[in-house]
Amino acid sequence: MDITLPAPAAAAFSALDDTAAAREFSRPLADGRWESWIAIEGMDCAACGQTIEQTLKQLPGVALAEVSLLTTRARVVWQAGQVSPSALFQAIARLGYQPFPAGSAEQEHATRRHGRMLLWRLMVAAFCMMQVMMYSTVEYVAAPGEIPPDQLMLLRWGQWMLCIPVMLFAAWPILHGAWRSLRSRRLGMDVPAALGLVLAFTASSSATFDGGGEVWFDSVSMFVFFLLLSRWVEAWARRRATGQLEALDRRLPAVVMRADGAAFVQVPAAQLRAGDRIRVAPGEVFPADGTLLEGQTTVDEAILTGESLPAAKGVGASVVAGSQNVSDTVDVLVTRPAADSTVARIRQLISAAAQTRPDWVRLADKWAAAFLACVLVLAVVAWVGWQFIDPTRALGVSIAILIVTCPCALSLAAPAAMLSATAGLARHGIWLREPAALERLLGVRQVAFDKTGTLTEATLALTRIEVLRPGLDEAAALACASAMAGASRHPLSRALAAADAALVAPTQWREWAGEGIQASLAGVIHHLGSLPFAMASTISVDVAASANGAPDPAATGTAAPTLVCPSSAPAELTDASDGASIWRTGADTTPVVWLADPDGLMACFHFADTPRKDAAQTIAGLHAVGLDTALLSGDRPAAVQALAATVGIRNPRAAMSPEDKLQAILQWQANRQPVLMVGDGINDGPALARADVSATLGGAAALAQGQADIVLASGRLSDLLQVRRTAIAARRITRQNLVWAASWNAVSVPLALVGWMPPWAAGIGMAASSLLVIGNGLRLLRVKG
Amino acid sequence: MDILFLLIPLSTVLALLIIGTLAWALSGGQFDDLEQQGELVFDPGEVDAAGVPIRPRTTRP
Repeated sequence: MDITLPAPAAAAFSALDDTAAAREFSRPLADGRWESWIAIEGMDCAACGQTIEQTLKQLPGVALAEVSLLTTRARVVWQAGQVSPSALFQAIARLGYQPFPAGSAEQEHATRRHGRMLLWRLMVAAFCMMQVMMYSTVEYVAAPGEIPPDQLMLLRWGQWMLCIPVMLFAAWPILHGAWRSLRSRRLGMDVPAALGLVLAFTASSSATFDGGGEVWFDSVSMFVFFLLLSRWVEAWARRRATGQLEALDRRLPAVVMRADGAAFVQVPAAQLRAGDRIRVAPGEVFPADGTLLEGQTTVDEAILTGESLPAAKGVGASVVAGSQNVSDTVDVLVTRPAADSTVARIRQLISAAAQTRPDWVRLADKWAAAFLACVLVLAVVAWVGWQFIDPTRALGVSIAILIVTCPCALSLAAPAAMLSATAGLARHGIWLREPAALERLLGVRQVAFDKTGTLTEATLALTRIEVLRPGLDEAAALACASAMAGASRHPLSRALAAADAALVAPTQWREWAGEGIQASLAGVIHHLGSLPFAMASTISVDVAASANGAPDPAATGTAAPTLVCPSSAPAELTDASDGASIWRTGADTTPVVWLADPDGLMACFHFADTPRKDAAQTIAGLHAVGLDTALLSGDRPAAVQALAATVGIRNPRAAMSPEDKLQAILQWQANRQPVLMVGDGINDGPALARADVSATLGGAAALAQGQADIVLASGRLSDLLQVRRTAIAARRITRQNLVWAASWNAVSVPLALVGWMPPWAAGIGMAASSLLVIGNGLRLLRVKG
Repeated sequence: MDILFLLIPLSTVLALLIIGTLAWALSGGQFDDLEQQGELVFDPGEVDAAGVPIRPRTTRP
């Protein structure tokens, strides 16, 4: 049943040095450096992680090594040429742990086996504990001398027999861990616990067969049970927190249909390269990031954005790995191979979250060995001291001290809270690049927003319909226009189509890029587009009619179309000498679209940016918690002022270049006002990079660009308030955990020293405080939507 | 009370036996797939055109 393997020979890992194999769990950084993620089985306590970190850092060419107990992964940055992946694996294996390439099938298998074994050990400990308790009860309830010595010895023999599987099998991880750290000449957290166990078992065994003294078989079996229970719960909590990551991984298909000439053939998803064309059927999951080449469909991105409604996607739209194709078969051009995909990026985000430890925790880790040495010394001192007070209790006191001081809870306090906070936010489509951003967010005094796409919707909205023909009403004009716009992917067409449900299907539909749409509605040719395009309707009618082969009665019936110009038409006309400028969304003009039939212009449609629905509420929420808001925009002052007034921003600034935005941020920072910049990541790159905390909005695609600290993939601006609430909760829970863990150790050691804490109470208390810390951290998973 | 000298060793050995049996069952893979036996009733097996079974109803990977 032993799961430890002999340390593999160097050759066992040499296959990993191949560049293709290394890419499965590594990625190249700048100047020949690589970042690798290595999964490690067999780590049970934070001290193990430190041992591995120290060992890896001693290898030449290793720039950085971080081991997370929560994800059981090591992140190693190493210099190619000086060290190889196999050397890293070899070093970990030599310490007595099992390294696997992160995310590999072997790792999954080993993790499952490890978890099953832990549960089995826990069951054995529980079963034996139960029996041992039954035998030991007799000694507790009987008066001294009431039980004949031979029967007492019989009962103790029974306890001893049942304690053997506990010590040899259930407690194996503790004993093995202690042995491992002693062999590498370090003091791990398992050392005092293992020493306590061995001392208690040996003393009890000799008391059993010599017939004198106290036995602690019940305490031993119970301590092992509780220690294993806390480790099992910890492993469960870790799985829960990283569950979304695993769910993402599991969703990705193993085989895909890739175009090979004209046909599509099945290939393993790992073979996909950028530029491949793949076909994805409804119900399937996109295996890689890409853009739609053919077809229209709806895509469920809930796992990334937290948005439960599927999003419509047409040709040219980007899709991300892990999202699900809902309605139709589509062809996709792969833009990023699987190793670089959004999912891979998210995996790094979550792993980084679990890896991060605040500076003071690192400091505490450094002192852990000294602390454990103090514990050992204290146990010896207590034993010597109690020889003068009551020699029969000396050993019991020493054992209690050894058991009670395990700093497991202390080492879990911060990571448990951070991982839960990150995972809880991710469930709502809020992704953190680094958890430290949560800490920095709490110091922010000033929130700066970009305008277009951040405070306003990414799409335009129809604001006004100007009817130009007597007898025509707005609804009829809109019905006409939306029917024509329905098949177009132009942003203005989308806005028109969204404004009304099209009832009539247009025929002879044709789109001129940058100019407009021509189509026949109920037998009449209509034009929708820029003013010159719409006014040219009489000319193109002839073209369309002759192209059609048969003269259109409506077109031929029109002798001389009367052109009705609206009041604003002359000005627009001069602006629109280049017809495309009106049809397109200019930065300075509110876009306008004209509808015409052969009788002349029918209506004019005005569009505008609309503020996001939750913008005003978010700004009010930010003001309510004492933050100041500013709008930094490159747009015209009038538009910026109007938007600021609508959403309630206090400090609007218009006509700013990216350089001006950067200067504004530096200005605030000079005044000791840390800034949160919310922008779109494309135009605001420098400002986002310079701000203390940065956030971007956008769908799942925004995740892949992600230079920002916080990505609101849900597209909800109000999530900013949610992030702030979670940041506050995370800080509170981390502090609670630390105060609890530190005070438990501060109180329990003196109690054990004066003999008021029996070994069984020490065991329960130690395990309970670990459980409490983990459970407290898990509360952060419940992020309210 | 002399019966205790028989009963206590007996119960101890029984407890160890139970653990041993469970260990054997676990390592034999009996708890690896708890759903398959239940799903078996829905498995029609495969038959060729003449009705001769190609694949029997029971499948154990």
